[in-house]
Amino acid sequence: MDGERQFTNRCACGWEISGSEDVVVDATIDHGRRIHNMEATREQVLAALHAPAVVDDEAADARAG
Amino acid sequence: MSRAPAGWDVDSPVQAEVFVVWLDRDRLQLTGPDGPQPWILQLGSVEHPVEVVDRIVRDVVGPPIVVHSTSWRRDRDAVILSFVVVIGRELVGTMASLPIERADLARSEATAAPRAIAASAVVEHGLRHLAWLAKDDPVVAAELPPDWRPLLAEYIPEPFRNLG
Repeated sequence: MDGERQFTNRCACGWEISGSEDVVVDATIDHGRRIHNMEATREQVLAALHAPAVVDDEAADARAG
Repeated sequence: MSRAPAGWDVDSPVQAEVFVVWLDRDRLQLTGPDGPQPWILQLGSVEHPVEVVDRIVRDVVGPPIVVHSTSWRRDRDAVILSFVVVIGRELVGTMASLPIERADLARSEATAAPRAIAASAVVEHGLRHLAWLAKDDPVVAAELPPDWRPLLAEYIPEPFRNLG
């Protein structure tokens, strides 16, 4: 697949955004500022997006039996 | 291999929890930009909580009728200041709402906080506090629309409390 890598960010309030890194970062900063009075930097959002939260489907399938 | 969505949440040491309330004929309803769930706001170290709640509600929902802090507690690794915000029905628009049911209060020990505090208990206390303000505070009494009075009269008036 040669498309741009896609990211998803989910706020605890239920709001969710998917798209390219730039789209997700910009939307997250805007959502945080408008809805939650948060002043997040681009670096903070990127850190959340790139935090180790990988789900290994094979391992999950194995655990599920 | 797939990637779970990243997580994002308010994480300041002091946070506001907003309950947006409106009157739907003869029923109080809970709403907000995320629906009836508590609406969490970050509070900066130099920000006044009431000003933040008023500004964000004004920007996102519209001009509120009453903004009042009704209790506080520890939760979410933070101090949570709970606010009841009264809005007019014309501001509800497409926001999801849920009728407010009566609930038991979270009662403290003589020298200790309650062990568990449900959101419904926070709302119940908030409305009892609002009922108290409607009788005791001339500004709130003047701002609340008259049709709120019989409904609030069903709530036992109660002043500000530390819930935990």
